[in-house]
Amino acid sequence: MNKNAFWSPYLAGAGLGLTLLASFVIAGQGLGASRAFTVAAGAAMNAVAPAYTTTLTYLSKYLEQSPFHDWTFLEVTGVLIGAFVGVLMSRGFKVRFDRGSAMSVGTRVMTAFGGGIILGFAGRLARGCTSGVALTGSAQFALSGWVFVIAMFAGGFLFAALFRRLWS
Amino acid sequence: MSAPFVLSDTVNLAAALVIGLFFGFFLERGGMGNPHKLTGVFYRTDFAVPKMMFSAILVAATGLCLLSDLKVLDMSRVWIIPTFLWPQLVGGALFGLGFLVSGYCPGTAVAGLASGRLDALVTMAGIGSGTLLFSALYPWIEGFYKTSDMGAVTMPDLFHVNHWAVLLVVYVLAGFMFSVMERYEHRGQPVVVKKGRPAVS
Repeated sequence: MNKNAFWSPYLAGAGLGLTLLASFVIAGQGLGASRAFTVAAGAAMNAVAPAYTTTLTYLSKYLEQSPFHDWTFLEVTGVLIGAFVGVLMSRGFKVRFDRGSAMSVGTRVMTAFGGGIILGFAGRLARGCTSGVALTGSAQFALSGWVFVIAMFAGGFLFAALFRRLWS
Repeated sequence: MSAPFVLSDTVNLAAALVIGLFFGFFLERGGMGNPHKLTGVFYRTDFAVPKMMFSAILVAATGLCLLSDLKVLDMSRVWIIPTFLWPQLVGGALFGLGFLVSGYCPGTAVAGLASGRLDALVTMAGIGSGTLLFSALYPWIEGFYKTSDMGAVTMPDLFHVNHWAVLLVVYVLAGFMFSVMERYEHRGQPVVVKKGRPAVS
């Protein structure tokens, strides 16, 4: 895929900003993503091990209704469909493991899964992710949004210095 | 009557799906399903993430200032993200590590999956597992999780200034940041967007 297949980040960002604004106006809340994972993981856990799941006090408030009645879960379902429409426009669909040049598929599975665990844990600790806290919070000038944005980029830069060979 | 509208549950959930559709479309069109582009910022090779993020913040923030002053939008009925200073600082920094290692964040992993990236699907499974890990460890984390509760505090509250003053500062800072990034990208630095080996390691 060549780089010109994508839009200018400023243009795509303006579209994203209008989407976020519409969300505030229509639904009274911004965009989110990590909540959908909490709701889905909670429902899956509840189906597999209901007795254990009831002991998890943190999850209980996410188990009150089915994921299909959860606002953020449906919004993220929309993300999958909308992104697929975008992919079709650039004919960018291809089933593969996307990885750094020096990385084997096995290593990629481990970095993807391990990095995902950190994202899931950290997102719960921070009460949201790039969408729910960084984007939404910053746009409404909430202190939380700016704190998260600064901490996220600082963390990323710091650890990139330690893991130079991961992606480049 | 002012926004946000009072919608029935069904209409609100249908709106969520449509809003998500646009969200995913713009994420993908901005290249946010591509882990090379997503992590480029941390190696200073591709600044698409901060460019797109701050453009979105500027557009949405300008709209919020305008619509609330025009009394079209009642901000007291909009959910403001609460601040828990220390958990969000530590959580944010850890999140940066997870972003770097996996190459995604929760929303962009979904956009990555839409383009057929199986590593994005693995990351999504990891995010679900990390959430369960947090829930399992919650009794030991709860104390820290609930520290430094500052409520739904915003910058205009904090500094006792009008929201337009904050917006002006954000415009100036973002403009400065964009110009630095543009100059950096055009200084002959390799822009890593292609799959596979970048021009310079």
